[in-house]
Amino acid sequence: MVARAARAALFLLGCLLGACGFAQPLTVVTSTTDLKSLVEIVSGDRVAVASLVPAGSNAEEYQPRPGDLGRLKDAQLVVRVGADYDLWLDALLRQAGNPALVRGGPGYVDASFGIALLEVRGAAVGAQGGHAHGSGNPHYWLDPANAEIITGFVLEALARVDPPSAKYYEARRLAFLERLAAKLPEWAAALAPVQGRPMLAYHNSWAYLARRFRLNVAGTIEPRAGVPPSAAHLAALLRKMSDEKIEVIVRQPFEPEKTPAFLAAKSGARVVVLAASVGVVPQATDYLALFDYNVKQLAAAWPTH
Amino acid sequence: MADALTLLWIPFLAAVVLVAIHTYFGIQVLTRNIVFVDLALAQIAALGATVAFMLGHPAQGIASYAYSLAFTLVAALLLAFSRRWAGRISQEAFIGVIYVVAAAAAFLLVDKAPQGAEHIKQILTGSILTIGWQDLVTIAVLYALIGAVHAALRGRMAQGSWGWDFFFYATFGVVVTSSVALAGVLLVFSFLIIPAAIGLLFAEKVGRQLAIGWAAGCAASLVGLLASYAWDLPTGAAMVCVFGLALACAGLVKLRLRWTAARYAVAIVLTLSGAWLMIAPRADHPLLDGAEYVFPGIRAIYMGDAALAAYKDADEQAERYRREVDKLNEREARSRWQGQALDEMEVRRISSFLTSYREMLKGEQFVMREVRVRARERVRWLLGGALVVAGMGGLIQRRRSNSPKG
Repeated sequence: MVARAARAALFLLGCLLGACGFAQPLTVVTSTTDLKSLVEIVSGDRVAVASLVPAGSNAEEYQPRPGDLGRLKDAQLVVRVGADYDLWLDALLRQAGNPALVRGGPGYVDASFGIALLEVRGAAVGAQGGHAHGSGNPHYWLDPANAEIITGFVLEALARVDPPSAKYYEARRLAFLERLAAKLPEWAAALAPVQGRPMLAYHNSWAYLARRFRLNVAGTIEPRAGVPPSAAHLAALLRKMSDEKIEVIVRQPFEPEKTPAFLAAKSGARVVVLAASVGVVPQATDYLALFDYNVKQLAAAWPTH
Repeated sequence: MADALTLLWIPFLAAVVLVAIHTYFGIQVLTRNIVFVDLALAQIAALGATVAFMLGHPAQGIASYAYSLAFTLVAALLLAFSRRWAGRISQEAFIGVIYVVAAAAAFLLVDKAPQGAEHIKQILTGSILTIGWQDLVTIAVLYALIGAVHAALRGRMAQGSWGWDFFFYATFGVVVTSSVALAGVLLVFSFLIIPAAIGLLFAEKVGRQLAIGWAAGCAASLVGLLASYAWDLPTGAAMVCVFGLALACAGLVKLRLRWTAARYAVAIVLTLSGAWLMIAPRADHPLLDGAEYVFPGIRAIYMGDAALAAYKDADEQAERYRREVDKLNEREARSRWQGQALDEMEVRRISSFLTSYREMLKGEQFVMREVRVRARERVRWLLGGALVVAGMGGLIQRRRSNSPKG
C-alpha cells in the first residue's frame, strides 16, 4: 500500500517536472485524420497532433464542439483540407482568435494549395483578395501521389514554427516519400486486374483514387451530397448496372447501407466497404495502411473467373 | 414504365399496409389529441437501440430490437400514467418533453461513438423505396395481428382504464418503431395523421372514417410514388408533400368552395401581381415567371425585337457553355480509366476552362435576367394596369352576381 502510494507520488512528481522542465511541446491541429497521419509522418514524436474530426465520422457533416476551440487556441499550426471540404473550420478559427492561425498567418496550412483539383465547379464563395479559386472535388488525399505535395507544405510550415528540428522533419519526409515510391507500383500492380471494371459508389469520394489507379467509378448512388436518391435515379442506376455489367458497389461504413444493399439485391452486385479516411475502418491505421486496405478490398472485390 | 413498375410495386404495397394500420391509429391519436406521440415513441425506440449499440451489441441484431422494445414499453407506461396526473397540463406537453429528452440523450450517447452515429440515424430515416419483400411480409403479418387484436378488444379499450391505455401505447409503439425504420419519421407521421384527418373531416362513424382515410391514403401514396418517379424527386419527401396536398384539397372540398370562390382567388392574385409589377418591376414576379416558364412564347409579346434577340442569343450561349462544361467533365472522368491518362498540366487546364465557362455562363444568365427586367420595366404600367383591371373586373363581377341573392 505504502509502496503504491510512493510510486504514485513519484509518478506525479515526474509529470510535474516534465511539464516545467521542457518547453511547451509543439501542437498541430488538423481538420481530418488523414492530414493528422500525414503530419505525424513528417513530425515524428516531436509534435503533438490532434484531428478535430474523430476517426470514423463524416467530415463534411462535422459539428464542432467547445473543446475544439481550446485545441485551436493552444496550437501553433492548423492544417486543413480546404476546397470547401471543412468549411466549418472557418467559423472555429474566427472564434478561437489565435493570430497565428488566421488565413495567411504563419501557422495556417491549406493542404489543397498546389493540388490539381478535379471536377472544378466554378468560383468559390467568398473570394479572398480578388483571387477566386475554384472549389472542386475535395477528396484529393486519396491520390497517394498528392501526399508528396501535401507533406511538402506540412514540412515547410513545421520548419517555419520549429526551425531547430527542420533537418529532422525533412529527413522523415524523404524517408516517407521513399516508402511511398516503393508502395505505389505495388498498389498499381495489385489493382491492374480490376482496371476499368465498372463500379458504383455511394458518394462521389473516389475521383482521385480512380484517376491514379485507372478505376472506373461509373456512377454514384447519391445524386447530390446528402440527398437521398429518387425512384427514377434508382431505376436509371439499375438499368446502367445491367447495361454496363456493374458487379461492385462501394460504400463507406458511415454511409447508409439500405440503398446499396437494395441495389445489390436487385442486380446481384456485391457491396464492398472502402475507407476514404484514416480510421474509418480499424485496418486503416495510418495514411499508407489506408491505401493498403482499399487496394486489398478492391483487388478482391470482383468474383474471380 | 416497366422500370417504374418493377421498382415501385413493393413500395406501393408497403404504403398500403402502412396506411391501413396508421389510419386506424391516427384516428385514435387525433381523438385523444396526442398528435406527436409517434415522434416521441420512435425517438425512444432509437434511444433504446443507441444504448444497445453503446453496450456493444450489433446495430441491427436481436439485442438492439429487445432494447428498443423495452424502452418503448417504459415510454408507454409513462404515457399511460401521464394521462392520469397531467391534470391541467396538456398531455401533448409531456409527449414533447419525452421526444426532446430522448433525442438529446441519444445524441449525447452517440457522440461518444462516432462509428455508431450513422447506424442510429438509419433507425429514424428509413426509405420506403428500398423496402424488400421480406420486410413487407413481416409488417403485413405483424400489423394484421395488432389490428385484429385491437378490433376484437375495441369495446373494452373504449373504457379508457389505465391498463388499456398502456396496451394502446405499447402496441402503437411497436407499430411506429417498425414503420419508422422502414419509411422514415416524416412519412410515417404523414401516414398517421393525414388519412385519419381526412376521414374525420367527412364522416362521423369510425368505419366510414377508416374507409375514407384508407382510400385517400392509398391514392396519395400512388400519386406521390409516380410523381417521384416522373420528376426524379426524393421519394419520401415527394410523398409527404402529396399527402399535404391531399389534405388541402380535402379542406377545400369540405368548405364547399365553388367556381365563384375560385374566380375570387384568381382575381386577387391577378390584382396583387399587377400592383406588384407597377410598384417593383425589378423584383421577383412569381406569376409572370411561372407563365413564361410554361409558355416561353409570352416573351415575344412584351419584349421588343432587339431585346428578344439578345435574350435568345444569351440563352443559346448559356446552353453552349453548359454543353462544353459537361463535355470537359466527361472527358476528364473517362480519361481516369480509359485511353491516355491526363497529366497534371492537362487536368489544371481543364479546371481553368471549367472555371471560365462557369463564369461566362453566369454572365449570360445575368444578361437574360437584365433583358427581362428591362422589358418588364417598360411594360410595367401597361401590363400591371391590365392585370389590376382584369383582377378588379373579376371581383366586381362576383359581387354583382351575388347581389340579387343578398
